[in-house]
Amino acid sequence: MRDEDILTGSPIEDSWLTLEQLAAACTVEPVWLRRHLDEGLIPRAESVAGVWCFASTSIVRARRMRQLERDFDAVPELAALVADLLEELDELRGRVGRVDPN
Amino acid sequence: MEFKDYYQTLGVARDATADEIKKAYRKLARKYHPDVSKEADAEAHMKEVNEANAVLSDPEKRAAYDQLGRGYRPGQEFRPPPDWDAGFEFSGRGASPGETADFSDFFAEVFGRMGGARGFAPGQRASFQARGDDHHAKVLLDIEDAFSGATRQISLRAPRTDAQGRVTLETRTLNVRIPQGVHAGQIIRLAGQGTPGFGGAPAGDLMLEVQFRPHSRFRANGRDLHLTLPVAPWEAALGAVVEVELPQGGVKVRIPEGTQSGRQMRVRGKGIPGTSPGDLLLDIQVVLPPAVTARARELYETMARELAFDPRPQRRE
Repeated sequence: MRDEDILTGSPIEDSWLTLEQLAAACTVEPVWLRRHLDEGLIPRAESVAGVWCFASTSIVRARRMRQLERDFDAVPELAALVADLLEELDELRGRVGRVDPN
Repeated sequence: MEFKDYYQTLGVARDATADEIKKAYRKLARKYHPDVSKEADAEAHMKEVNEANAVLSDPEKRAAYDQLGRGYRPGQEFRPPPDWDAGFEFSGRGASPGETADFSDFFAEVFGRMGGARGFAPGQRASFQARGDDHHAKVLLDIEDAFSGATRQISLRAPRTDAQGRVTLETRTLNVRIPQGVHAGQIIRLAGQGTPGFGGAPAGDLMLEVQFRPHSRFRANGRDLHLTLPVAPWEAALGAVVEVELPQGGVKVRIPEGTQSGRQMRVRGKGIPGTSPGDLLLDIQVVLPPAVTARARELYETMARELAFDPRPQRRE
């Protein structure tokens, strides 16, 4: 395999993206993302001079919330609450996995 | 290619109302929700349910599907007649193009042609410009790869639009270098490696979510690395310096005198490397030598006699 055939990826935390790029990464519409950011429903997001930097967990959170709103007609606050609970579940599952990997 | 019976997938009658379809979908979306479902193959089931819903919840797609599928049974060999979709106009609602990339070949063959994955109505194409969609995939790594970086070959199915604006699913293979310092759940971005853009607009990005294979010794929490460290009773009681093997060489760790089993020790900065490296967390486990020889038994008996140690002290009235 030649070096030029290899693509190099970078962690999303190192990428500064426009709101449109970020919305595409979250599989949501830019208007939806802007509204939820303004309402403080997506934490761990930083903005400087019109570009944004998200934590990987925020991308997953936005995707989950959008699906909950779409699939169950959930209001944004309810979708955020469920996303909080799912994140807690992820954390607890991780903790269990570290104690008992099997 | 097999015919898919979307009504059967959602468990509704062919004359089900939009409300009945929505209700059936929600019930299944809850049952197979990948974050909470305990069903086997929940993720695969959820994809099927999403695909069926994307078609049946969209009146235009549903009408076309009903016309096309007349007389077909589930699993029956299926070939759509040429230009069968003439006369239909599709708005592409129901699922995002990113989601439709995960749908079946049946869906791609039927609905990829008619706008499900961003096709065009006649006359729309000339002036249309849009950034390509991002593509999402998972990449499975060993924890060791986070220390050194890794190169992985990844096969993706992505929608492609031909010169006539028709969409088909195409498999492409990429060699991707994953940088050092990644952790589970982290998303790695490959700019411009998603779906090509339209009308000269840029391509979308490829987003890879990192997952680690289970490891026989290490567990990771973000960049922190957990490891159970077995120590001998005399190492725990008297203190010792022990060598711990890590993916990029060993580190020497001082076990303080009187360390009990179950204690956790933190070695700063020796976890997964990165701009802010993780810590190494050692769960101390005191391991007893077996009393299988006369000498070993004698040593244990001496300790029992001379240490006057009670591991279960109780308050006495």
